[in-house]
Amino acid sequence: MKPAPFDLVRPREIAAAVALLAAAGDGAKVMAGGQSFGPMLNLRLATPSLVVDISGIAALKTAREEPDAVVYGALVTHADVEDGRVPDAGAHLLKRVASGIAYRAVRNRGTMGGSLCHADPAADWVNALSALGAQVEIAGPSGRRWLALQEFLTGALSVALGEGDLLVAVRVPKVPASARFGYVKHCRKVGEFAHAVGALLVDPAAGTARALMGAIDAPPLVLADARDLFGGRIDADFAARFDAAAAAAALHEAGVIDPVDRHVHVEVLRRAVRQADGLFSPDTRSAA
Amino acid sequence: MNAPIRVSGAARTLALTLNGRAVAAEVEPRTNLADFVRDTLDATGTHIGCEHGVCGACTVLVDGEPARACLSFAAACAGAQVTTIEGLDDDAVTAELRAAFNREHALQCGFCTPGMLVSSRDLVLRLAEPDEARIRLGLAGNLCRCTGYAGIVKAVASVIADRRARGIAAGTAPRPLGPVGARAGAGAEAAASLKTPEAVRATPAPPARAADFTPAHSFAQSFDLAFPKARVFALFADIREVAACLPGAVVDEMPDLEHVVGGMKVKLGPISTTFRGTARVTRNADTFSGVILGAGGDGRSATQGEICYRVLDGAMPGTARVELTVGYTLKGPLAQFGRPGLVREVAGRLIADFAAHLDARLKGAPAPAATDGGLNPLRLLLSLLAQRLKALFGR
Amino acid sequence: MDVTAPGEGVGARLPRKEDDRLMRGRGQYIADIRLPGMQDVAFVRSPLAHARIRAIHVPEDLKGRVFTAADLNGVKPIRAVSGLPGFKVSEQPALAADKVRQVGELIAVCVAPTRAEAEDMAARVELDLEELPALHDMLEAKKPGAALVHEHWGDNVFLETLVNVNIEAAFDAPVKVSRTISTARQCMAPIEGRGTVVHLDHRMDQLVVHTASQMPHIVRSGLAECLGLDEGQIRVISPDVGGGFGYKAILLAEEICLGWLARRLGTPVRWLEDRREHLTANANCREHHYEITLYAERDGTLRGIDCEASVDSGAYSAYPFSACLEAAQVASILPGPYDFPAYRCRTWSVATNKCPILPYRGVARTGVCFALEVALDALAAELGLTPEVVRFKNLVRPEQMPFDNITKKHFDSGDYPEVLTRALAVIDPDKVRARQIKGEPDGRRIGLGLSIYCEQGAHGTSVYSGWGIPMVPGHEQAGARLTPDGGLELRVGVHSHGQSLETTLAQVAHEILGIPVARTRVFYGDTAMTPYSTGSWGSRVMVMAGGAVATACTELSERIRRIGAHMLQADLAEVRFAAGRVIGPHGDVGVNEIAHTWYRRPQDLPTDVDGGGLEVISGYKPVRDSGTFSYAAHAVVVAVDPEIGEVEILDYVIVEDGGVLVNPMVVDGQIIGGLAQGIGTALYEEMRFDSSGQPLASTLADYLLPGAPEVPAPFIGHMETPSPYTRFGVKGIGEGGAIAPPAAIANAVNDALRPLGVEMLHSPVTPRRIVEKVLAARAARARRSAA
Repeated sequence: MKPAPFDLVRPREIAAAVALLAAAGDGAKVMAGGQSFGPMLNLRLATPSLVVDISGIAALKTAREEPDAVVYGALVTHADVEDGRVPDAGAHLLKRVASGIAYRAVRNRGTMGGSLCHADPAADWVNALSALGAQVEIAGPSGRRWLALQEFLTGALSVALGEGDLLVAVRVPKVPASARFGYVKHCRKVGEFAHAVGALLVDPAAGTARALMGAIDAPPLVLADARDLFGGRIDADFAARFDAAAAAAALHEAGVIDPVDRHVHVEVLRRAVRQADGLFSPDTRSAA
Repeated sequence: MNAPIRVSGAARTLALTLNGRAVAAEVEPRTNLADFVRDTLDATGTHIGCEHGVCGACTVLVDGEPARACLSFAAACAGAQVTTIEGLDDDAVTAELRAAFNREHALQCGFCTPGMLVSSRDLVLRLAEPDEARIRLGLAGNLCRCTGYAGIVKAVASVIADRRARGIAAGTAPRPLGPVGARAGAGAEAAASLKTPEAVRATPAPPARAADFTPAHSFAQSFDLAFPKARVFALFADIREVAACLPGAVVDEMPDLEHVVGGMKVKLGPISTTFRGTARVTRNADTFSGVILGAGGDGRSATQGEICYRVLDGAMPGTARVELTVGYTLKGPLAQFGRPGLVREVAGRLIADFAAHLDARLKGAPAPAATDGGLNPLRLLLSLLAQRLKALFGR
Repeated sequence: MDVTAPGEGVGARLPRKEDDRLMRGRGQYIADIRLPGMQDVAFVRSPLAHARIRAIHVPEDLKGRVFTAADLNGVKPIRAVSGLPGFKVSEQPALAADKVRQVGELIAVCVAPTRAEAEDMAARVELDLEELPALHDMLEAKKPGAALVHEHWGDNVFLETLVNVNIEAAFDAPVKVSRTISTARQCMAPIEGRGTVVHLDHRMDQLVVHTASQMPHIVRSGLAECLGLDEGQIRVISPDVGGGFGYKAILLAEEICLGWLARRLGTPVRWLEDRREHLTANANCREHHYEITLYAERDGTLRGIDCEASVDSGAYSAYPFSACLEAAQVASILPGPYDFPAYRCRTWSVATNKCPILPYRGVARTGVCFALEVALDALAAELGLTPEVVRFKNLVRPEQMPFDNITKKHFDSGDYPEVLTRALAVIDPDKVRARQIKGEPDGRRIGLGLSIYCEQGAHGTSVYSGWGIPMVPGHEQAGARLTPDGGLELRVGVHSHGQSLETTLAQVAHEILGIPVARTRVFYGDTAMTPYSTGSWGSRVMVMAGGAVATACTELSERIRRIGAHMLQADLAEVRFAAGRVIGPHGDVGVNEIAHTWYRRPQDLPTDVDGGGLEVISGYKPVRDSGTFSYAAHAVVVAVDPEIGEVEILDYVIVEDGGVLVNPMVVDGQIIGGLAQGIGTALYEEMRFDSSGQPLASTLADYLLPGAPEVPAPFIGHMETPSPYTRFGVKGIGEGGAIAPPAAIANAVNDALRPLGVEMLHSPVTPRRIVEKVLAARAARARRSAA
């Protein structure tokens, strides 16, 4: 189980990486921490002619706080978030998600940017950051641009990166103090990929809620205005009004036609709702 | 700007520090750190159990932190400090762990043990309390098939308890952001690209074909077009036209009206392959239906697929409804993953693209520029595969 | 001080001698062997489950480095024949020539300086295959008209067997409960895969085969047969082995290929199985299907058991255990630890287009225990009795021991009801059931599950000669040599790959000779250095090799005593050997001095001294070789989330009786390790196939092995009823931990979900399967109430 041969190049700057990618075209692949790409290479499922290893680019190993957001460089690792080496967009919120990704040895090299570019529907950052309304910054041959994460994720393992494009940063809006977050994933064993992810960002004070159902074999289903899941309004008693049928209908609409799958996704979201409501301990097995 | 460091498919010299000693050796880009320390540097204490990051047997310290040696390419760790089990002989924490492992019968065959000790050492340093549940979570990335973990958990807990009792606090050492081991590769020099010899690339093999095809997976989809049934059906008669609506499809030749020889370049995330093969096209003008039955291979995996289409009158006069049944079977390494995921959502998206392209074609627009979309059983297969693969790559 | 270290003999909880090197990365596993000029090997394997090979195209520039069946002159296929009447013989070629019968079957072998380059070459070999219909379902394969794995057989049945003991007498029983119960195909998945390094030793004119094996001597016999060599021309060395569990108790086609290659090329060659090869091509086990009917009285007394059992044996008969050992065992061990008067069992060993089925810890017992114990709970539910009442009604009672059961298994000793009584006392069913009634605040449901088994271990000649497979164990031998400085060397033909024999066999020797464990070395794993043995399998090592070591050491102690008598100038009748010293009427002498005298100062001994000296090879068989029967009761409490199907193990209790324990720490380790594998069988592990015979797991992300969070620390209680037939009264316990958990856990899940109308009858019990059944039961109830 050894990779097919490839060339490896380690640019030191973003511009160099972009130039390399633009020049190399289709046969080139970006590698950040390599924790998702590495297995695909080892299994010879991916056989690029050139691997552009961006892990040496210092400019991507940054994090900065803005008034209402935190911007993470693409190479911030899961462990960087877990250990608090970068600011958290919500109190211990990303930290909790990060600590539930795979295993520590993987988290020490796996990166936020790499995970988003891999765009696995079951991945934690894909789901958690979609629930939080993140944006990504892309550097390409024609300059830089920002894209909502939901627009960036175009399908399973599929993202809106053109030739020469590189994801360089992730901007996560700060979660207001009045808001609460529930994030639950359903796995058969610890560290396994999720079979269902449910997330709810709810602000009873503001009367808003954003819900997500993920790991549905496609980019996550995000309900940016989730009031319909709670009888049309968000207040202190929102959790008691969780409308499973409405969630199931949304899943059906999104193409989840298997009733067992649908049931499980709704139940996992229900647990995220309870967690956001503080009724469900965040330390259960199914929580991150 | 600094020139990028390029390591070609041929071996280049790599320098790093192994167990406190500076080492330099030739390495191919595809060589992972585990193979490098084992085969090149003869440090065989690091074991290889799965080569895809799940079992943890290869866990080593990179810049002082646990990392999977099987998922770290050696060339990407130029300049890093690598510590394997051999380098922990005199490490105080590891010595305490060894005593505890021995006392608690925390190993049997010993194969997982080096990686287990590396991860255990990290837990001892980081966990404030000997909390059993957290220790178990922390060891989840190191599989042991012999012990049932009870002795390991006890051993780790005892070392944590003992150290905290001695006043040694838990904590993580300060470190820079980013993947451990990832430096800019100081000392390596820019090299011209050496093309990997074409000879070592996999060449496509002729597909294996079954006489009677019963697809292992199938699904149905339909879409509407604002053109009359007959015109839509006529378009389906021109296989080159249909292929033009399938991005990645190439028609090499049509030996006769019923047969097509060609290929399909398929790209999904980092997976990129070209299936080459043949298809047989049959039509029934009486029922406005047809079947495209194809088989192809990329040298290692083989696929067969069929698209049955039927053109019906649409709901509105002058419109048509196309019903598709897509069936396929995939064999070989690409097929051998655990999760028969549902592709309906993906299929729906692709069929929407296909319908748009057909629509454009009927309106006389030029063949669509290559995009990511397109109806293509092979693409669907790869989409299915993507669902299956998330087992591995859900990180 | 040259003698006895206190507390090191039989029964001591002694830490292991082997740990230190393994914890410092100094173990020597197969992949750690380095030989000058060694070449790596990768195989071209079949991508299809069933196909005719039309052509194999090897690129011109690879000729001489890639070999196919056409090159393998004189290499014979693997034939693992059973002597049972009606057995159909399969021939597994080292490299497939005409036809492939499973995904992953070997087609060509590629040799290169590195594995990566060998894989590059493998990718360039083109296969022209004509696909044939693949059999992925044993029940379909059994039917008339199915495609044929081996055409000349006429059907797909390796062997059909029937046992009938008066089943008709049970038909008038007042209660009859029938179930269809099945277990998934699994992979053994030791963390180290197989691997082989082969080179030529010109000095000894031997092919030296380093291979990760549980049975080096048997591999040598198999290799000699297939390569057409004298056994003396082959030396098999099994180094440190990273877990076996049965997977390394077979002869591999890869070993044959490498043996041929090393001779052909003259350079050392190496093949290391990777995880994809392990999962998709080689390491399959366990797939059973049962149609089982229990006949009983209303009080739970069993009147009879009627069963039809099929085992998916895969494409070929594996060497040496054959394709039918598993199913044949099913028929003989299905009755479990119970006493009842009528029994019928029909079995089929079915050929399919999958990997050959191989023995995995517990072998057929895990499936049998699952079928019987789950069916017993169904019976209890039907009768409105608790599971323990039904079991107490039927367990063999202590006063019946030794007991010949309905299939003539000879239960050697024990108190079967007592382990259940003790397990129940710990798990406290009343408390669990009260909690069950009360309900859980989080909506989960609590369930209690039991299972009991007895496990035949160390069964020998009388049992295996009846099966007529290529390997029949006879006397087990051990060598014992006193070194000139009074240390002890033991030589055994069994292998230790986690069993801790370097420690425990030294403990056995210590018990006899009093030599400190630290001064005792155990040599194993090398056919050139050890007595012949069938190896480590069947929970036999401590009984057989332990008995052999004790026998050899006893004989050695007599030799020591004789020399000691000379040195003490006493009559032999006047001296005795105790705790490492020979004690005479007027003084004593220690083994160090005796050894020194024998080796270094023979002039001090009379010329008529026994020339046998201080080295002994001696053989051992138990008084009766029908096997030891260890047994245990497992009791488990689970919490099941019926909405998402998660199962959490809250409490796990094991009370077992493995006879006299040589090292209780090691025994506990075996039990907990077995439990982890049993939890894998119960909840996680499954190798699925699609309809074209493609295996659907090629990574450990698809094939889930339990990790630390999934395996709770169990309570373990011991009873120690000695076996009347073995040295020290020990019994084999290596496999037991893996036998009972699937049944106990499934029973607990069923106890939790029974009020919902849900019963899980297939292992593994996955979240998906639970939710499917919960929703189906809910829908059925809704339909009923609507009607």
